[in-house]
Amino acid sequence: MSAVKMLLKRNIKLFFKDKAMFFTSLITPVILLVLYATFLSDVYTDAFHASLAGAIEVSESLISGCVGGQLISSILAVSCVTVAFCSNMLMVQDKATGAAKDFKTSPVKPSALAVSYYFATLASTLIICFVATGICLLYIASVGWYMSALDVILLFIDVILLVLFGTALSSIINFFLSTQGQISAVGTIVSSAYGFICGAYMPISQFGTGLQRVISFLPGTYGTSIIRNCTMRGVFEEMKNVGFPSEVVEKIRDSVDCNLYFFGNKVGLPVMYLILGGTVALLIGIYIAMNVVRGKKA
Amino acid sequence: MKNIIEINGLNKSFGEIKAVSDLSFCVKEGELFAFLGENGAGKSTTINIICGSLKKDGGTVTIDGLNLDTSLEEIKGKLGIVFQGSVLDKSLTVYDNLESRAALYGICGAEFKNLLAELSELLEFSDLLKRTVGKLSGGQRRRIDIARALLNNPKILILDEPTTGLDPQTRRLLWSVVDKLRREKNMTVFLTTHYMEEAAEADYVVILDGGKISAKGSPLELKNTYSGDFITIYNTDEKAVKSLSENYERVHDGFRIAVADTAEATSLICKNPELFLDYEITKGKMDDVFLAVTGKKIGGDDK
Repeated sequence: MSAVKMLLKRNIKLFFKDKAMFFTSLITPVILLVLYATFLSDVYTDAFHASLAGAIEVSESLISGCVGGQLISSILAVSCVTVAFCSNMLMVQDKATGAAKDFKTSPVKPSALAVSYYFATLASTLIICFVATGICLLYIASVGWYMSALDVILLFIDVILLVLFGTALSSIINFFLSTQGQISAVGTIVSSAYGFICGAYMPISQFGTGLQRVISFLPGTYGTSIIRNCTMRGVFEEMKNVGFPSEVVEKIRDSVDCNLYFFGNKVGLPVMYLILGGTVALLIGIYIAMNVVRGKKA
Repeated sequence: MKNIIEINGLNKSFGEIKAVSDLSFCVKEGELFAFLGENGAGKSTTINIICGSLKKDGGTVTIDGLNLDTSLEEIKGKLGIVFQGSVLDKSLTVYDNLESRAALYGICGAEFKNLLAELSELLEFSDLLKRTVGKLSGGQRRRIDIARALLNNPKILILDEPTTGLDPQTRRLLWSVVDKLRREKNMTVFLTTHYMEEAAEADYVVILDGGKISAKGSPLELKNTYSGDFITIYNTDEKAVKSLSENYERVHDGFRIAVADTAEATSLICKNPELFLDYEITKGKMDDVFLAVTGKKIGGDDK
């Protein structure tokens, strides 16, 4: 136990000592927020206005709250996974510097090493994603706040769940990497592709049916939807209060992926949590099993 | 003395390349054992197998009576390794590095602090504890590497080319620490080196070439077997030396004659007493042994 505790301390210290690694991780969500707010906010707002076509009178604050909720859910859904990939470089760096060889020649169990890498990445990713969540909430407060205290608490829980998922996924993928070049390549691919396949950059509802079906098998999709349900719940409630028909609200929920469908069947929010939680448990199990098997093979 | 390392029929291949082929040797407890060979001879492969970081293809490895196949974790606790290059975390302090590595052996708290005090005194690094490892000089870093290897009070200390690139002062400190550990703790030292002078100080030497053992024995046995003696004559002229009809070379202040062994040297001196008024008989060097055994000169960085 002391070995895991000390390795955890070492890994976290190394992450925060490496300024490049820390700032690269921290800057990702900030850049996304600036880009979204600068380039996409107006596009989303115009699209919202166009879809209503003047049928219902809506306040600017509600539209901004709706668009803002969609934006921050996208940013957080992407950040929780991409930041985990940035933070989880140490596992690969240790192979390159020889530290992994040093650990391997000591009696420490491979599973203890795996757990220490996982939790160190989890801790550093959580710190950065919590900061990002705080910034996103400030943004929402400035454009249109419709979230309750419970929504905020749930949002932080959702971020934890998605960070657990991102950390487990990055741990499994980084397990096979051994050079800085490889991890940079993987980081670039994940940063650019994950936002699309999880429905963050573009709602899945806008994809073709075939692609929607494929994406519905990916657990990250449900992670995005969980966060989006949280950040937009208050907006939808306010829409109903100001006279939006329930059917219209449901259509909007469909269009922004708050409602997800698996082969035509609506997936409930509890099921989404189950899918994501189950995936996290499965990925952690696979990661530990991989380390144990490698330890035996060595 | 009992054998602390026993290796029988060790084999390891990387694809088509046989890194180690049917290797068998023993290391006695408390001795300084030297592994000599060019780069790629199989030294590091053997060490990696002993440490458990590389799986062998065949053969048996027994460390302190424990079979590597069945008691790897226990064996790891008995080994201390100084790798060729430093494997410590360059952005952490000396203290943080040693604290995290000690925890790998379950050493923490007061036990770690006592151990650290002992090691920092032995290796003279008390003033470096708060310094970042990446900012230390090569010699300072090497001392910390050795301290890391000694954290678990190992029965066997593996030194993989430990003095390459070090200043003479750090080299002296390293060897004095190694001598002290052997004397006081009966620690076995398994050394790989490019420096023949270091190998000459060993109790037993194994020369590897192409993954196979080319020669093994004590430095004296190897010198007697693979290298002749030399008589160096001083204060004489070349004409007189030439009259002996033996192979010779000019050295500083004299001439060096190569003879098969000490008996031949004695015979030559007895036959020509008028010539041998100022002379010395020396054994061949480990360089001569290595050259005779492998047909190669080792490295290019000999001391």
